[in-house]
Amino acid sequence: MSLLRLCTFPKCLSGRILLEISVRRVPYVDHCLTIRNNIERHISEPPWTSQRRHFSALIPKKEDGKKRVWEQSQLLDVLKARIQQLQSDVIVDVQHEKVQFVKASKSGIGASSGNSPKNVFGERTEVPKAGQTISKGGGQTGKGEGKDASASKSRWMEKLSQEKKTKTKKLKQKLGLEDKPVKSSKGKLMLPGTSHKTISTKAGIKTASTVKKSKTLKNQEHTMAASKHEHTMAAAPVAAANVPIRKAKGKGKASKEPAPELSEARNRAEEMERKAEAKAQELAEVEELERKLNQWAVSARPELVQDNSEARVYGDVQRSVRCYLEACVFCGDIDRAHRFLLGHHRMVSRRNLLNIGLYNIMMRVWAKKGSLNQIGRMFILIEEAGLKPNLGSYCAALECMGRNPDCSPHVINRVLRQMEEDGLPVDELFSHCVFRQDERDMVLRAIHTVQPDFQSSINTILQTCSSPLVKDFYTERADAKYPKMAFSLEELQERFSRQLSIEQASTITIHSVEAMKPVTSHMAKMRDLLAVQRLVWHKALVGALREGKIILASSTQKAVRLSLYPYLCLLDEKDYVDIMIQSLSNLPPSGESLHILAKELGNRVHNMFCIRMKGHNQMVDKLSHIYNEYAELLAKDSKEFDVLPRERWWKLEAEHSSGPSLLGDETHWPHMVVVELGTYLVDLMVKHMKVNSDILNSAYDRKLIPVLYHMYTFRSNKQVGFIKPHPILTQMQQDAMDTTLTFDSYVMPMLCPPVPWTSAKFGAYLLTPTKMMRAVEGANQHEILLEKCQDADLHAVLDSLNQLGNAAWRINQPLLDIIISIFNDKGSEKLDVPPPNSEAPKIPRYNQQDSATFTSAEKAHLKREVVNAKKKCSEMHSLRMDALYKLSIANHMRDEVFWFPHNMDFRGRTYPCPPYFNHLGSDVTRAVLVFAEGKPLGPGGLEWLKIHLVNLTGLKKRSSLAGRLEYANSIMDDILDSADNPLIGKKWWQNADEPWQTLACCMEIANAVRSPDPTHFISHFPVHQDGSCNGLQHYAALGRDVIGATSVNLIPCEVPQDVYSGVAQQVEEFRVRDAEKGLKIAQVLEGFISRKVVKQTVMTVVYGVTRYGGRLQIEKRLKEIDDFPKEYVWDASHYLVHQVFSSLKEMFTGTREIQDWLTESARLISKSGSTVEWVTPLGLPIIQPYHRSRTQMLKATIQYLSLQITHDSKERPDTVKQKNAFPPNFIHSLDSTHMMLTALYCYSAGLTFVSVHDCFWTHAITVDTMNKVCREQFVALHSQPILQELSNFLLKKYCSGLQSEVKSKKFLEYRRMLLLLAKVPQTGNFDLQRVKESTYFFS
Amino acid sequence: EVGKMKGECFRPLGRYDFLDLGEVEENTQRAQLCRTIKRFIIDPALAKLVTHHLGPDLEESKAVIFECNPGPGVLTRTLLNSGAQRVVTLEGEKSFLPDLQALECLLDGQLEVVHCDFFKLDPMGRGSMRPPAMYTDKLFTDLGISEANWTDEVPVKVVGILPQRIERSQLWKLLYVLFDRLSIYRYGRVELNMFISEKEYLKLMAKPGDMLNYRAFGALWQMACHIELLHKEPWASFVTSSKYKLAIPKSRLPNDNLCLVRMTPRKDLFSASLTPSNAATLVMMVKQCLAKRKARLVDRLNMWSPDSGPKLLKEMGMQEDVLTGHVYPEEYKQLFELVDKSQEFTQSWLYEEVLENTQKEGWI
Repeated sequence: MSLLRLCTFPKCLSGRILLEISVRRVPYVDHCLTIRNNIERHISEPPWTSQRRHFSALIPKKEDGKKRVWEQSQLLDVLKARIQQLQSDVIVDVQHEKVQFVKASKSGIGASSGNSPKNVFGERTEVPKAGQTISKGGGQTGKGEGKDASASKSRWMEKLSQEKKTKTKKLKQKLGLEDKPVKSSKGKLMLPGTSHKTISTKAGIKTASTVKKSKTLKNQEHTMAASKHEHTMAAAPVAAANVPIRKAKGKGKASKEPAPELSEARNRAEEMERKAEAKAQELAEVEELERKLNQWAVSARPELVQDNSEARVYGDVQRSVRCYLEACVFCGDIDRAHRFLLGHHRMVSRRNLLNIGLYNIMMRVWAKKGSLNQIGRMFILIEEAGLKPNLGSYCAALECMGRNPDCSPHVINRVLRQMEEDGLPVDELFSHCVFRQDERDMVLRAIHTVQPDFQSSINTILQTCSSPLVKDFYTERADAKYPKMAFSLEELQERFSRQLSIEQASTITIHSVEAMKPVTSHMAKMRDLLAVQRLVWHKALVGALREGKIILASSTQKAVRLSLYPYLCLLDEKDYVDIMIQSLSNLPPSGESLHILAKELGNRVHNMFCIRMKGHNQMVDKLSHIYNEYAELLAKDSKEFDVLPRERWWKLEAEHSSGPSLLGDETHWPHMVVVELGTYLVDLMVKHMKVNSDILNSAYDRKLIPVLYHMYTFRSNKQVGFIKPHPILTQMQQDAMDTTLTFDSYVMPMLCPPVPWTSAKFGAYLLTPTKMMRAVEGANQHEILLEKCQDADLHAVLDSLNQLGNAAWRINQPLLDIIISIFNDKGSEKLDVPPPNSEAPKIPRYNQQDSATFTSAEKAHLKREVVNAKKKCSEMHSLRMDALYKLSIANHMRDEVFWFPHNMDFRGRTYPCPPYFNHLGSDVTRAVLVFAEGKPLGPGGLEWLKIHLVNLTGLKKRSSLAGRLEYANSIMDDILDSADNPLIGKKWWQNADEPWQTLACCMEIANAVRSPDPTHFISHFPVHQDGSCNGLQHYAALGRDVIGATSVNLIPCEVPQDVYSGVAQQVEEFRVRDAEKGLKIAQVLEGFISRKVVKQTVMTVVYGVTRYGGRLQIEKRLKEIDDFPKEYVWDASHYLVHQVFSSLKEMFTGTREIQDWLTESARLISKSGSTVEWVTPLGLPIIQPYHRSRTQMLKATIQYLSLQITHDSKERPDTVKQKNAFPPNFIHSLDSTHMMLTALYCYSAGLTFVSVHDCFWTHAITVDTMNKVCREQFVALHSQPILQELSNFLLKKYCSGLQSEVKSKKFLEYRRMLLLLAKVPQTGNFDLQRVKESTYFFS
Repeated sequence: EVGKMKGECFRPLGRYDFLDLGEVEENTQRAQLCRTIKRFIIDPALAKLVTHHLGPDLEESKAVIFECNPGPGVLTRTLLNSGAQRVVTLEGEKSFLPDLQALECLLDGQLEVVHCDFFKLDPMGRGSMRPPAMYTDKLFTDLGISEANWTDEVPVKVVGILPQRIERSQLWKLLYVLFDRLSIYRYGRVELNMFISEKEYLKLMAKPGDMLNYRAFGALWQMACHIELLHKEPWASFVTSSKYKLAIPKSRLPNDNLCLVRMTPRKDLFSASLTPSNAATLVMMVKQCLAKRKARLVDRLNMWSPDSGPKLLKEMGMQEDVLTGHVYPEEYKQLFELVDKSQEFTQSWLYEEVLENTQKEGWI
């Protein structure tokens, strides 16, 4: 209906379109139909035709005639091919077929020419008839001739339906991504210009026969209105109808279940009774639960269940089609995009895979061109595909009308009315659609022609997050002292423009710290050589790329095949080549696997493309405008705001609604595309980058040799394609010691405060696309979940990310200089400064002449040495490069103030986005970072600095704060000496656990004590507070374990409790007992059980370490003990890990129970075929991305790559991973919630706060406040009925849809799950409030 | 029965005394008690057949027979009954040892029992070496077998069933040590008589032109050994330790049997130009070539040394466009010998490559 009717409005423009469409359509229709009829009759009736009605559609092309001829001939070809293929089966029949085929097509054309152009609606009534004929098929004759009862018929049919099945299966799996087109079985599926409809109607429950009967009727009354998409609509009512029946059956079965056989007769009755009782009880429980579930189900929104599955089924295919179309459109190849979409549209199997968004892409293109004709046609296509136009479609239609100044108001009115009929309010256009360029204005213009006073009323009322945990935070703002930054508005704006220009360039080249080394003449020579070579390579690659593109462009005749071509046109050729040449300098001398290299290259292209796209969409101006106003919120010289950054930004965006949307709607490319593109580029590099073999040594013959090799390495019988640099290249690079490093712009910290996250899709960098939730390559289940979230529910999460990102940083220059000096000298493994390659062990080469003199044992030894040396070298190289990047970035930033935008992993743990240099890094990187903002130490600040220093050394862990302070005071000489003479003094700091941070702290203390008044000393130094075994803290609180809570400092004590010592003590008790019993290994272990031996295992047990892993950890520790007899290591570690687990069980009773409950729940959920999901107390939805992997073949020219796809949510969940990871992931989701809560409340208290998971940082003066907030929030968090809510959520999620399977086995499993999920573990009687007084909770 | 034998330990049995194989049922039960997943030969007829294939002149042959994981010892006894001069059983499972040792006692040195798993010889790891893991030199020294020349007669015949789970990696490991003349091959051309799965046998024997199955694995084995299929026996004829069901691996190739395969290292494998010290490069070369069977050989050669491909092919008398999957193992060997002689390859990175083995069961 909809637009079709709209278009037929006689006087308007689109009316004429349809007219001309119809004219062309009719002849083609008949022609095509006849062909199909004939063939299909002979094929007899494949099952799939029976439900479908065929009629053909227009081919919206200007040169319609030509096109038609082409299409016809193509169709003929295909059919011929098909016939030939089947010839071997039935020769006689085929000949028969051929004759008829030719005849038919002639008659078809003849018939069609008779139709008059006036017959607009005639076509409609005619078509269904034809459709009917086909669907009835079989014995009936359609348009005349055709007797077809040959015996071979059924074989054909079988074969065809078989082929069809396999083909659709294949298609769904890897639509178009294969290089090779699916074989010759294409013919039968090619339905040029045909549209297929599924007749489902509202009568989903009716039997098949009634459907069939009603079909004729429906067809005649314009079936369009009734037709719906097969998968969504038809399935739903049926499923709904089934539920009660299934349930009834299931229950009946359960109660009737026979009691198991008993062996002994006399016990029988008794046992039976008991069992029956238990069963009855269980049943009652189940019923009670189901009743509860039903209540929930009633109150729950119904749509949630449906779209979930729908969205995922074809997700991958749709994404690759979408990306392809977008790429085509971006590079202006509209023709290709159009052909591609039509190509899919014309094949039933592929059309089913399309969704409305894909049609909208083309609509948008035509809207830009102002072509109402094409828009009308697109609507017809959508109609044919059985899809419903959505906001995006109407948006494009209106935009197009807005661009046509003489567009009749009637048309616009029709569109608006149609929208209303479809239940799409006009307002939602402006709140839901993403606009590019001037699209919004055009849409508005169109609306204004008919409703001159229309104003888009954007809902400016902000909803607040529903979680009770943050109610105070959002509602009581009077006392809030949101921190300001130490910059003026002007400064912030200036920083913004610098950041913007960096991101616009998309890459940044900085000086390497190695550039500080003096340049030798050899280095200079090598640099020149390299520079010359790069020019040569650049030229060669540009040429090769150009050539490759020409070949690709011309070789893709098949419109439906995805080709790389558009992806190679997104950027300038020069940009691609730059990316390639840059990748060369990052290539380790030992080479890199093709897969990784390709992924890197592909991602860099994608990144650059996204940034270009934003420029293309003209959103930069608007962004600058909004940012510049937003900066007022942060600047010190503007008024106080009582709103959060996110709220401010949101408001500003609402105020400046005109122009393009800031939200980028770019799709992340499928992993396959990224790798394929990357592989193509690698292939170019391998083939076209050459160097003269005598470039370094003129004694060699001059030959042009490739710089890169593609070869294989073999890893446990798997061959891995590798790209290796030629030794000549490696040597040149090493000798030249490149002075510059080139990074993608997002690698650098930001020069201005990040854009606040306002939704899960928008925030962080200015232009670089960033995901709020990191995910495995290609996994989008998180995104789907986040999208479905109520906006307000994410506010707390977004706000905490914003606060973490708003912390400004600076470089600790004196420290950086010391580190660089060591780095540029020989490094120091002890101080964690990686030495240069020159310090690496030489790889022993055994000479063939000598080899005769070696014994075989010596040879074997030598061989092992070689392998080890190689391994060591490549490890050293990667460590060195990592440090080089970090230090160079730090050095580049040495005079700057900068920010780290944050995002999070799928459990909500937060991370800074810049990958190399950030505060999460090693001791070295943490030491060179200080807060940009300084605060006076205040009365207690200096003491906190000293305590922090002692914490960093790793000494005095079991002393009270006073004890640690006293210790610090007692070693002031060492501290001052370290600060003054770090490298030539007593070097006290070098023996600390975290030497560089210790040194930094020494310097800070020295400066403070030497200042006239330490309380006024301005300190930039972050002081850390660590959770003591944070995972166990959460478990202990969840389970309210008294002993456990005490041992992890949830209960106030004089001195900090140490859980590791506690466990060691418990283990020792067990050991003594066993030794007395005469257990040998327990006796051997006497005197060896220490805190250190058990520490790692205890620490990691919360995070799911298994006995196996635990044993390895303990084995390692035991081996470090010199006195321990080596022959007992295995037995001892085996024994100890057992004891550690038992001790933990003894101390943390509740913990174990909770852990087991979580594990078992996850196992059952996963076994039932679902992925484990939950929601954190702050409302963040979480889904575990562990699925069984499947492999996908990428058949590139250089090598076939088999990609392991683990993210695919269509695959069944990986039960082992789902269950093992659930407890730790759940605990992580809690610790991240605790961190976020602390961050938010610290923000309203005006603190600077950053976190490294369970380690919180702030200024010395505010440590006490932070600690208070931290404890309060922990209590608040655990005062929530966390486990009960989890249980409710899981029940709702996994038991309400599933209930009452008919099969008894399934039903039993379901019931088991139901009971387990409902059975929340009991808790102990620890009083949570005591945490508030516990000094050592975080310390 | 066993107890009785123990009692009679004082009187060594003569070599013509016939050893009782024991009841099939009892043997089956004992085999099934084995804690690790293994297959055993219990059927006397099968044992006889294997013995026959190890022959024909067991009584005359000087080669020592190593029997891997005999379990209840049906084959051991059958071997002894057929007059084998010297049988060494390498049993990894402790529970089977007492019985075998009792038998050892009874005999006059024809049988030696060692607690050792042949498939755990010379492990890569550096943990404490405890039986059944062992170094070959210890085993051979203890048995008094000394290193021999490559061209000498076969000193040792090994008979056993390759454990299914590590079948392939074991064969690779043996291949590496063979080319390097390490491990057991230090002691000469040790002949293997192994039951391997049919699919693995077919891969082993794949011929050039079979682009799917002809790989470095088969090519190298064929190059190194004379391979003979002695017998095919359905999987069902073997007794499996029962706690676990050993699923027969699925394969595109037929896989209905275990194949008794004899692999005798070729006398002429090593020559002036191919020595154990450069053989690793040959292995690498073949692996690189056959990673992609439809690649042109000339391209591979050019990659290692530009422009040398056509020259070498000409010397070999091969077509310019020959595909790597069409080259015979022998031809690869010749090719390598040419490459090794050629001056142009001295700079090639091919020689820089060291085979890395990250497997658990490594070689030394």
